[in-house]
Amino acid sequence: MNTRRRFFGQSAAGLIGAALVSRVGAASLPEAPIRTTPDMAPPLQPSSGRPYSPVVTLNGWSLPWRMNSGWKEFHLVAEPVVRQIAAGMNAHLWGYNGQSPGPTIEVVEGDKVRLFVTNKLPEHTTIHWHGQRLPNGMDGVGGLTQPHIRPGKTFVYEFEAKRPGTFMYHPHADEMVQMAMGMMGFWVTHPKNPKFMPVDRDFVFLLGAFDIEPGSFTPRVNTMLDFNLFAFNTRVFPGIDPLVVRRNDRVRIRVGNLTMTNHPIHLHGHEFEVTGTDGGWTHPSSRWPEVTTDIGVGQMRAIEFIANEPGDWALHCHKSHHTMNAMGHDVPTMIGVDHRGVVEKINRLVPDYMVMGERGMADMGEMEMPLPDNTLPMMTGRGQYGAIEMGGMFTVLKVRDGLARNDYKDPGPYQHPAGTVAFEWTGQLPVAERPAPAAASKMSLKVRKPPAGHAGH
Amino acid sequence: MNLLIVLAAIFLAGCATLSPDAGFSDVEQAVTQRTGARTQWVRSEDAANSVQARLKELLLKPIGPPQAVQIALLNNPGLQARYADVGIAEADLVQASRWRGPTFSFARLRRGGETEIERSVFFDVLGLITIPLSVRGEEARFAAAKNRAASEALRVALETRRAWFNAVAARETSRYMEQVKQAAEASAELARRMAEVGNWPKLNQAREQAFYAESTVQLARARQAEASARERLARLMGLWGEDLGFQLPERLPDLPKEPRQLGPDSETQALAQRLDVEAARRDAEALARSLGLTKVSRFVSLLEFGLHRNSETGQPRQRGWEIEIGIPIFDFGTARTARAEALYMQSVSRAAEVAIQARSEVRDAYGSYRTNFDLARHYRDEVIPLRKRISEEMLLRYNGMLASVFELLADSRDQVAAVNAYIEALRDFWLAESDFQMALTGRSPGASTGTTRTAAPAAASGGH
Ligand SMILES: [Cu+2]
Repeated sequence: MNTRRRFFGQSAAGLIGAALVSRVGAASLPEAPIRTTPDMAPPLQPSSGRPYSPVVTLNGWSLPWRMNSGWKEFHLVAEPVVRQIAAGMNAHLWGYNGQSPGPTIEVVEGDKVRLFVTNKLPEHTTIHWHGQRLPNGMDGVGGLTQPHIRPGKTFVYEFEAKRPGTFMYHPHADEMVQMAMGMMGFWVTHPKNPKFMPVDRDFVFLLGAFDIEPGSFTPRVNTMLDFNLFAFNTRVFPGIDPLVVRRNDRVRIRVGNLTMTNHPIHLHGHEFEVTGTDGGWTHPSSRWPEVTTDIGVGQMRAIEFIANEPGDWALHCHKSHHTMNAMGHDVPTMIGVDHRGVVEKINRLVPDYMVMGERGMADMGEMEMPLPDNTLPMMTGRGQYGAIEMGGMFTVLKVRDGLARNDYKDPGPYQHPAGTVAFEWTGQLPVAERPAPAAASKMSLKVRKPPAGHAGH
Repeated sequence: MNLLIVLAAIFLAGCATLSPDAGFSDVEQAVTQRTGARTQWVRSEDAANSVQARLKELLLKPIGPPQAVQIALLNNPGLQARYADVGIAEADLVQASRWRGPTFSFARLRRGGETEIERSVFFDVLGLITIPLSVRGEEARFAAAKNRAASEALRVALETRRAWFNAVAARETSRYMEQVKQAAEASAELARRMAEVGNWPKLNQAREQAFYAESTVQLARARQAEASARERLARLMGLWGEDLGFQLPERLPDLPKEPRQLGPDSETQALAQRLDVEAARRDAEALARSLGLTKVSRFVSLLEFGLHRNSETGQPRQRGWEIEIGIPIFDFGTARTARAEALYMQSVSRAAEVAIQARSEVRDAYGSYRTNFDLARHYRDEVIPLRKRISEEMLLRYNGMLASVFELLADSRDQVAAVNAYIEALRDFWLAESDFQMALTGRSPGASTGTTRTAAPAAASGGH
């Protein structure tokens, strides 16, 4: 695995036609390309088959195919991968074709799709094509609709991509472990008619959650809810690419949720409409404007808007812990705790100890402190005005004038027109009549002192 | 005849006089040879003054183990009392060697008008005959007294050495307990302030406070153990008054680079140098002589040693020293000599017992020495670096707001406990080293006491 990665890692393109997996099936198996770089590949323009307008996978790529007597053939290889979560942290995950999430599969409504799935994991797997209309035996539920794909084996799935829309794929065998390890991928079925609901930029990503202990590499697969990394396509801020769009582009963002909780995804500066769900395209008459859409577990949403407000607009999950990286969930709140006199005592025992959290946790975003190996700061990222103090499910929609059609390059920080940035008030402050703030201790004593007996309970 | 007696008396009196050092030079030599320190029997003001001057000089600087032993050998009052035994034994010996001399009596008796004057001279003829016998007995007692004095000096030296290591270790321990208390104090103080501003329930605060309260107890115990260990050392060195301000180093000596090996000649060395073995041999010799056993040469072979070499085909050659135990056979013949035979056999058995015990003690002490060396080295090279690494990682976690300051402090307490455990392991090594040294060259270390093993602080991992 490693040698292959190191060898192909030399390639700048990142897209590699790997050797065929099975000598026996060599003649009949399509290539299984791999990609190991974590940044965004340009949209994969269809070179064969029906035309469509390709999507952009945030920090990812789309899987090339080959046409074979009217079948669109893809080859997915389930295997252990090393995914850079953000600079400074690598995760040992399971994924497909060199990455987690696996490559996006793009087909067109009515395509006959044949998917070869090779298992290079240490245990059996299957693939479930989440949301697809297909023969029951192609649904990929191990034990229920098919035998498991044993390690080293290759299975073939064949079905027609009947319904256009937004889909996902993931294992349905030991899925708790395999999804916790990062096994997932996006699927887009484009409409047969390219003129149907066209957009200028079509971004896709999956929501993922991992619990990787600081200083370690492998997710704790048994964690149920207390995850410490919340990711867009297994990348966390500031490791996530921005969504770069040309001003007045019609933009679609498709998001799928494969975590164990819902994520209210919130966009700044624009209203959008939910134009697609797991079930297909929403009726125009049913849409209403939103700035946040909650994406439930196992759900997908497509949102659309005209990006007509230039600037750097935050796009993030609105659960505030989900825009943080690893932190100690049992660390007590230190806000307002006077450390005078105690610090010296602690320093005598722990010379490198520094007070943090006394005034809040913004220190974390501002100070560069040594951390355990392979651990990202809880909040990080810098903007033109200072620390952004974000991690996890946070990225930026960058709306700019004059970009080329297929230009997704980061244009850098937004240059605000004069007089359009919040500024400090330097004039006179009105003297308001306010009650003196009560000492916190007295207040809490008053509030918490139990009355005699238990009458107050 | 008369002349002969007088001459004999003069001769005997002339051959046994009190020596200027009361036979103490033998003791001094035996002790110096085995401890490297001088000892002195203080019998005059001049001697006392010179000892005091030497003490003052030694007390100027921090006292190491050799200095402590030197002070004790010069100044331990119990030892001086024991040295007096040597003088007493010598006096007894000289006394025994002196003929009582003739006694004169004069009597004037009157019966009526008759006066009788009786003059007589008595010669203690029997005493004169038994003088050689009692001299021989007193000689043995004198030798035994010297042996006992030297042995006692070695005991004091060993205990002083042990007391020194205990005192320094106890001091280090109490210093570490002080640090633990400081960590607990910082935790408790922070907890109090957190509860004060409403960030923590009273339960958590009480827990931190409880730990602090317990650490105060631990520190008090450690300080008491330190004071007690220092007092014991002061007693052994015979110090009081202003001399109690003696200084000790801050730390125990480092572990030697490599442990000593138990050589094939170690047991032989013990048999050749140990005073208890020597005493047993002397006893048996003296008994043999007094019983008129002329063939003592065979008996003596009991404690003579030969190079032992075993060769077997295909096997490495075995080498070692072996005691040859030979039981000489005498023709005692009569029932009257049965007692003599029993006494003799008893001394043979005792000598064998002492020899076997000495050899066993050498092996035993070495086993303890080696185990304690390995343990101390393990603490130094494994446990302590690991604890340090844990603490470093803990700090990194704290930096990332992944762990709280309370976890950081709990960990620092654990680290201190580990360092303290290392101190104790190092101390135990030096105690074992002292015992081994003594078993090898001086006497049985078993009789010595004074390992004040302070209770190891609870290295409760994870704090509470
Ligand atoms: Cu979220």
